[in-house]
Amino acid sequence: SLKRCLISVDMRFIEKSFQGIKRELQAKDTFQNVTVLSILESPKNIKPADVCCVTKHLLTFYRDRVFQDHQESSPQIVRKISSIANSFLYMQKTLHQCQEQRWCHCSQEATNATRTVHDNYDQLDVHSAALKSLGELDIFLAWIDKNHQETSA
Amino acid sequence: NGVAVLPAPQNLSVHSTNMKHLLTWSPVILPGEMTFYSVEYQGEYESLYTSHVWIPSSSCSPTNGSECDITDDITATVPYNLRVRTTRDSQTSAWSTLEHPFNRNSTVLMPPRMEVTKDGFHLVLELEDLGPQFEFLVVYWRREPGAKEHAKVVRRGGIPVHLETMDAGAAYCVKAQALVKTIGRHSAFSQAKCVEVQGESLPL
Repeated sequence: SLKRCLISVDMRFIEKSFQGIKRELQAKDTFQNVTVLSILESPKNIKPADVCCVTKHLLTFYRDRVFQDHQESSPQIVRKISSIANSFLYMQKTLHQCQEQRWCHCSQEATNATRTVHDNYDQLDVHSAALKSLGELDIFLAWIDKNHQETSA
Repeated sequence: NGVAVLPAPQNLSVHSTNMKHLLTWSPVILPGEMTFYSVEYQGEYESLYTSHVWIPSSSCSPTNGSECDITDDITATVPYNLRVRTTRDSQTSAWSTLEHPFNRNSTVLMPPRMEVTKDGFHLVLELEDLGPQFEFLVVYWRREPGAKEHAKVVRRGGIPVHLETMDAGAAYCVKAQALVKTIGRHSAFSQAKCVEVQGESLPL
């Protein structure tokens, strides 16, 4: 199962890194009525077969947009975000090396699901969107944890 | 403006054992006041996507020794660039950068230290606490011809673990290896240690 692919990823450590900065990030979020990762909040939105593709797309979303768009002055938050960003990079490499091509087929639904995340992101100015998406890392991490344990080969 | 007046540190290298990573360099000897150093790091993410970003080490920016424990900075299994410079008052040297990026998957994994004891007829093991990233594969057997080996994964060191209820007069042996899932590697097995229900701990 996909869990086997991410067996070497220390999810607990990533979650702990995020918990250390979550309150500060979410306190600065001024758009409480918008959820960038809304698609992940309902289990029926994404089929098990699409889990791998959506995971890969969202890791790319964080890598190419969120982490680069966010401007941070607090050294402690910079350090935690760096830790998460590098862990996500490792996760991407692990998923790729795990011969994912057989399971990681990208259906139209998976692509549409990721499109809604980008559309939600684009609704806001880039700094607010990046800050909000960082604050929603707990949604993404919980989704990875849940889906990469229940998915079977 | 105090840039690049001081000599830069040389001979940077990383010594990593059991997921503890120590960056060292040759000290810069200068007359007069104490010399300080600043250490910064950059994970693969930063080097690929935000290459201008360098992050001060959590414990050595600044430091006055010629080494830095970077364990808390190296938090993912990706290559990390590391650099050091000399600082004194407002003066700084040029940066010296580690020749090859460091990846924690190159750490040297040593067999774990362990205590094998008996509590009455109970075979009890306590493994060295190497931190949250470590698990242990423990193998134990009754010392007799053709004995079957038993294996058990111990999730954490530093706490006594009951392995077996022993038979009177029999001797039992234990060996263990350290496992680190985040880098997908394990150490060699430790030397076996044996106990006999009536006797003391016997060397193999």
